[in-house]
Amino acid sequence: MSPRAAATAAVVAVALAAALGWWLGPAEGEPATASATSAPGPALMAWPPVTARATTASLPAASAPRPGAPLSPLGKAERRAQLALWQGRLERAQATLDGYRTSAQYPHESRPIEEHPDQVRPFEPISEERALRMPGGTAPQDVKLLTTQERVFASGTESSRVTVALQSAQGRPLPLRVTRAVIREVTPPGATASTAEFTPDANDAGRAGDARAGDGVISVLVHPAAQGFGGFAGTVRLELLLEHAGQPGFLYFDLVYSPETAAVWLPGVREVASPAGIDFFVKAMVRLPGRYVVSARIDDVQGEPVALASFNAEVGAGEQEFRLPVFGKLLRDTSPAMPLKVRDIEAFLLKPDRFPDRVMLPRRAGVQHTSRVHAIASFSNAEWEGEEKTRYLTELTKDVDEATREVQRLGP
Amino acid sequence: MALISRTTALVAIAATALLALAAQATNYSLWINGRGGGGTPGNHADWRAWGPATVNAGVNKKAVNWDGFNRISTTNGGIRDALDCYCTGPNWCYIAAYSAGNLQIGYALSLFGTSQRLKKNPTPNSAGQCSNSDGGTQTGWNIKWVNVAGGAGGGSELADAGDWAISEPLVSDLKTTSARALYNHNTTTGKWFYMYAGAKGTLYSFVLPGQDDEVVAYHSSGGVSGSSGANFCNPADWLCNDLTLGTAANQGGRAKWSWHSVQFRDNNEQFDHYARNNWAGIVGRVRADMEANAR
Repeated sequence: MSPRAAATAAVVAVALAAALGWWLGPAEGEPATASATSAPGPALMAWPPVTARATTASLPAASAPRPGAPLSPLGKAERRAQLALWQGRLERAQATLDGYRTSAQYPHESRPIEEHPDQVRPFEPISEERALRMPGGTAPQDVKLLTTQERVFASGTESSRVTVALQSAQGRPLPLRVTRAVIREVTPPGATASTAEFTPDANDAGRAGDARAGDGVISVLVHPAAQGFGGFAGTVRLELLLEHAGQPGFLYFDLVYSPETAAVWLPGVREVASPAGIDFFVKAMVRLPGRYVVSARIDDVQGEPVALASFNAEVGAGEQEFRLPVFGKLLRDTSPAMPLKVRDIEAFLLKPDRFPDRVMLPRRAGVQHTSRVHAIASFSNAEWEGEEKTRYLTELTKDVDEATREVQRLGP
Repeated sequence: MALISRTTALVAIAATALLALAAQATNYSLWINGRGGGGTPGNHADWRAWGPATVNAGVNKKAVNWDGFNRISTTNGGIRDALDCYCTGPNWCYIAAYSAGNLQIGYALSLFGTSQRLKKNPTPNSAGQCSNSDGGTQTGWNIKWVNVAGGAGGGSELADAGDWAISEPLVSDLKTTSARALYNHNTTTGKWFYMYAGAKGTLYSFVLPGQDDEVVAYHSSGGVSGSSGANFCNPADWLCNDLTLGTAANQGGRAKWSWHSVQFRDNNEQFDHYARNNWAGIVGRVRADMEANAR
């Protein structure tokens, strides 16, 4: 709390306490009692050392003990502790300010791709390594399960391919058997199931989504619309019971599914360049109005990733454009070789406070647009500005200034 | 009659005083719990999920309780309500998130952090919602930084393997693939996430890869990016890549999510995941930092 706010709070507290005393006190003509209500004073300024471990006995209360006299050994030790505390606060405040200032060079919707290391290839299957074990059971250390999952969210007629393979610790393929495979809805607590279980074709025979027969990789296709879940919105779960040399194992894979169609992509990408940057517009026929979250990867002419451009705003129904900007200063700072390529567009309708919380639009994988050739020097080198940035820099600078003053005051 | 007039006057004084307080810039410390809940959602003075309420856990501390059972998406509205209450207009917030609370604040910032928010008076009703202040709006919330204790932003293998009840809605969100796909973890709107990673885990070491606090592994509590988990350890373990301090990429090259910095790595394996209703475990480290720096 700022000193001004603290002073105001103290005044208000005193006023309230006085008013309460007056209210609870004798009315006119009634006899007064001998007792008096005193307003609580402002709390002593906290100066606690940062404790590494807290126990019941050592947990500090919200108020602190009275400091020692300034020139006493205790007072000097307290001053050193306060100095260390404020030095830490200054370091934190400076890091907060520096971080925000760095971030706010560019707008939120146009970011360097280096900030998004796991968003560069959004449509690659998710690979994981798992133990071969049953829930609550132990796992043999000499084998490992390798799994892939094509996607976590799906809508409409989209499907998700799941693969499972077993390897030795040294990476040698090992035989693995699926003893049971089932796809079922995850029924919310208190509800009753609205769909029937489905038994998928879990195989390594080149069928039903299996890429290559006999390679030791077992594939299962989760395709809600074709497996009886076309009217279900929620989690569709694939459960696998596995076995290798007598060792059982269990895995499950979740696909959050919505049968709805939120919007339909319209062809083409429109491009508008100005000193502020390049805006790419992707168009859709929106059926369900609401907040749409859209992102695209921007590569240079060689395919080197440059930026993540995004859109996050509410739109109405009908034909709409989602603006995906590449900010001018970002172009100046990264100097990508032109033309730019717009790649791998991912989009969904966000449904706040609901589950499923999104309706995916079909993935637009690969290069969707190649820009015109623009001279990098034609773009502005100016940083992003806005009310939010001013608000943050003002507040965070105030914190740095206050901590600086305290460090100077307490310093030798 | 005299009592009635005094009551009316007191109400007027109190209303004026509250309005005066509401108009002042005030900092708040918001604590967001994890799986299991413990406090009553909407009651920001209920500290049962954490420990004694008298403990110093940052300036003007508020317990942003949610049930710790249902989906992040269906419970996140309560988190956003609290952010609207305390982190708009002239007021600013420090956030402390624990375990699945990491997903809550990450989800709010990534998906709603640039949305227009109505400025509120920081006096919530019993549902944890606040009235509008001047009718104005602002972009996003006023948040200085986020401390994360035992963060489950990257999920937990205990959810993957069926060790937790797989019928529980939140467990689905805590699967490593689901947690990491739930939102873009790099999008914090420029706020630092300071990660506190405990390593005193033994019971599930054969399930949780690398170092763990018995519920989450370092890949999650250390904010390691990617679509799946991986092994990360303390430097003393030569058979496993190090989780590095700060923002640097980890040994082996795997990056952290942007704006995520490992503030504490449990080199001595002293801190587990459990608060034990006494601000214990890795929560204790974050509480100490909130006491020192959230002011």
